[in-house]
Amino acid sequence: MSEMNENVLEVRHLCKYFPIKAGLFSRVVGHVHAVEDVSFTLKRGTTMGLVGESGCGKTTVGKTLLNLTPKTSGEVVFNGNIHLDQLSSRELRAFRPKIQIIFQDPYSSLSPRLPVGEIIGEAVREHHLVPDNELDDYVTRIMKACGLHEYQKDRYPHEFSGGQRQRICIARAIALNPDFIVCDEPVSALDVSIQAQIINLLEDLQKEFNLTYLFISHDLSVVQHISDTVGVMYLGNMVEFAGKEEIFANPLHPYTQALFSAIPVPDPTAKMNRIILEGTIPSPANPPSGCKFHTRCRNCKAVCSQKAPRTMDMGNGHTVACHIYDPESGYEQEAD
Amino acid sequence: MSENTTNINKEEEQLSLDDGRRVKVLSPGMMVFKRFIRNKLAIVGICTLFFMFAFSFLGGIISPYRQDQVFYKVDKANKEYAGAAVNTEYRFTSATDKPLSTMTRATFNSKVKNAAASEVTFQADGITYLASKVDDNFYVLTVGEEVGSVTVLGKIADVKPAAGVELSKAVTDAAVQAINKNQTSFEAEDCVFTLTKGAAKSYVLHRMSPVGLASMLNFAAYDAQNNDLVASFEFRKECETAMHKGESEFEVDGTVYTLEIEDETNADVLLNGDYVANVSNVIVNSVNVGVFLPIEYKAAAAEAIADKQTSFEYVNADGVTEKHTIQMRGNTYIISTEQETYLIDMYSPPSAKHWLGTDDHGMDVLTRLMYGGRISLLVGFVVMLLENLIGIVIGGISGYFGGWVDTLLMRFVDLFNSIPYYPMMIIAGAIMDSFEVDPYVRLYMMMAIMGIMGWTGVARVVRGQILSLREQDFMVATEATGIAVSRRIFRHLVPNVMPLLIVQATMGLGSIILAEATLSFLGLGIKYPLASWGSIINSSSNIYVMTNCWYLWIPAGLLIVLTVLGFNFVGDGLRDAFDPKMKR
Repeated sequence: MSEMNENVLEVRHLCKYFPIKAGLFSRVVGHVHAVEDVSFTLKRGTTMGLVGESGCGKTTVGKTLLNLTPKTSGEVVFNGNIHLDQLSSRELRAFRPKIQIIFQDPYSSLSPRLPVGEIIGEAVREHHLVPDNELDDYVTRIMKACGLHEYQKDRYPHEFSGGQRQRICIARAIALNPDFIVCDEPVSALDVSIQAQIINLLEDLQKEFNLTYLFISHDLSVVQHISDTVGVMYLGNMVEFAGKEEIFANPLHPYTQALFSAIPVPDPTAKMNRIILEGTIPSPANPPSGCKFHTRCRNCKAVCSQKAPRTMDMGNGHTVACHIYDPESGYEQEAD
Repeated sequence: MSENTTNINKEEEQLSLDDGRRVKVLSPGMMVFKRFIRNKLAIVGICTLFFMFAFSFLGGIISPYRQDQVFYKVDKANKEYAGAAVNTEYRFTSATDKPLSTMTRATFNSKVKNAAASEVTFQADGITYLASKVDDNFYVLTVGEEVGSVTVLGKIADVKPAAGVELSKAVTDAAVQAINKNQTSFEAEDCVFTLTKGAAKSYVLHRMSPVGLASMLNFAAYDAQNNDLVASFEFRKECETAMHKGESEFEVDGTVYTLEIEDETNADVLLNGDYVANVSNVIVNSVNVGVFLPIEYKAAAAEAIADKQTSFEYVNADGVTEKHTIQMRGNTYIISTEQETYLIDMYSPPSAKHWLGTDDHGMDVLTRLMYGGRISLLVGFVVMLLENLIGIVIGGISGYFGGWVDTLLMRFVDLFNSIPYYPMMIIAGAIMDSFEVDPYVRLYMMMAIMGIMGWTGVARVVRGQILSLREQDFMVATEATGIAVSRRIFRHLVPNVMPLLIVQATMGLGSIILAEATLSFLGLGIKYPLASWGSIINSSSNIYVMTNCWYLWIPAGLLIVLTVLGFNFVGDGLRDAFDPKMKR
């Protein structure tokens, strides 16, 4: 079934609002617009990087995709025809192994009172993915694939370093033989040398098991290294989406340009042409009108604060949501 | 494993100095245990608790006494032994086999008693009696029989016997003489005769014969075989007459008896040096039903009363000298003596029999402490389990489901927290008092109430812990990996809440035991015959016991303190041991 469809994941107009409650009777006084109108498609065996500032809704996208937090509106389709929100709880549980998540914090994502072998094998046994008598060997194989040793099976998470714990988390996800893994900043809590090990491990596993990743990160170098396509988010909106080479070579959105200008270049003689963004990211509970980025955009014109930009297909799979590239927006005609 | 494979393994994997394989693998449980046993204070605590459990649960089996066994001691107590009274009623003795009629006695009592004259005649049942006063205590009753008539003609008196009666010459002569001397009675042939004036110049002659005695003295024979003798008319008459005259001997039926006179109302009669009878106007009776007082005792008592003494000594049948004291109470005397009695052995100091003495009910304090420990520990554990059961369920539901369920349950917890604990317990205790609830039912009720009132703290802790755990990534991961809800709760949530709960419960045990002791001390908790450490202390709630009977309250207090300390030490030890930041 999964082999037939090339697109592992299709996301259409995904929205997630968190209600803001206040007062004695918890009246809803507003919403945090965590994710607003996000659409993208993910092909089998590829990695999509999702970048953006802190609080722009990257992690919420990841969790909403997996139905760990219910979405407000929009469509999430796995393997062409599976809508998680339309499954019964039994079917949802049965489908869970196909879609996995790796968390940012390897310390809180492992139950401190279970041995590692149990953490990795627990869900495998729950879903009867391998016969019970082969489970032990299977767990050993997965652990080896993730760079862990067999003798560590009976150990408890507190006996491991951060990098090893992240390997355990990866092993837990891989053991379920998933199609799709949300990597929610899996390396941001690790030091640089360990980051490289984990990134390489993820790439190796991708080749071995033909995995599809949604790689959420704020570290552009890592995203540049691992991704096939890159989405840039700002305040809940996907402002730009393109192939990796395309977007790094030719960033169109002013925000993307500002973001990418901050990538450090390992050459002391190179002249940095940094674009400094002014101010801080606005509150998602009270987003600016029109284009959400207009408060900080150096190319801002009157139209930007008046109407939201359309998402423009610039060809070659490159989409951008900015009035500059929309001939009908009236941006061009406006005086500076 | 053969040496060969070992070598190969060595070549394959070079162990570095810091290799994880060199460190022994320990499960979290083992780690906790290891950390726990390194804590000296916790070991002291656990040893104390072991001792308490052994003391309470084994001690009760080993102890030879029951918890409600009351001990008695044999002690001397001054108790009333006999009552005595001076006789003020006349007792009648008949000369014949037929006792004097009731009418006679009543008439005597009404006519003669307190009469000044020394001779009183009265009639009863158609018979004329003559009561002759010997002294105040003694009258002789005689009845006249007409034996003849005397006719006086000038100086000559002629005695004519009645029909069928023969009068001796001595009698007639005596009658004539008496008439000449103008006497109305005379004695002849050991009989008294009276002359009653009849028709002119003539007299009726009566021979007086004694028919009874009226005496205030009481005769008692020393030996039962002399009872008939002592009760006989002759004996009594001669004896009392002799007593009146102050003679030291009298003769009855040819036997001469010796008389030892104490005073006019008290004497002993001896025959050949043996005591035969005691004569006294004092009547001594035992106050105890069925106890026979020997005549020797009665004699001794009567003598002492007659002498107006306040005490006397009596050598009893076993040859032991008893001291008796006499108290006058109105017309009667109360004789009391030190007697052996069974007393409840209250407040006895520690001894070989009772290592910690006895309490106010005469029960062995050590045994009570053992059984009391059972109750105290039982209450502690049952209440703790009850609190935790309710607390975990309500806190768990509240924390896991959140939302309006959480709000509702937490307001419920607030409601419970706002109920004042001690007034509530005092009311409950008073209600159970008024319904006279069985002590065991009372115990269960108390445990139930304490449990129902105490779960809120546990519920809050569990709720808070589960709320924070629920947001942890590993709980999200269980959802993402599609693990069943029951497994999520019991394999992932509960084991992570347990350490905190164990610590809480251990610490809580101490305070529950204290609360139970407080309630029992106030008289609201455990009731007699059940014991708890608190109720044992309660029994020493007056200043006399407090200052004089240290063995009543110090051991119980010490046990409470040690147990609570023990639970707190263990709780502290567990908390430190569960804390992952505590390094090995």
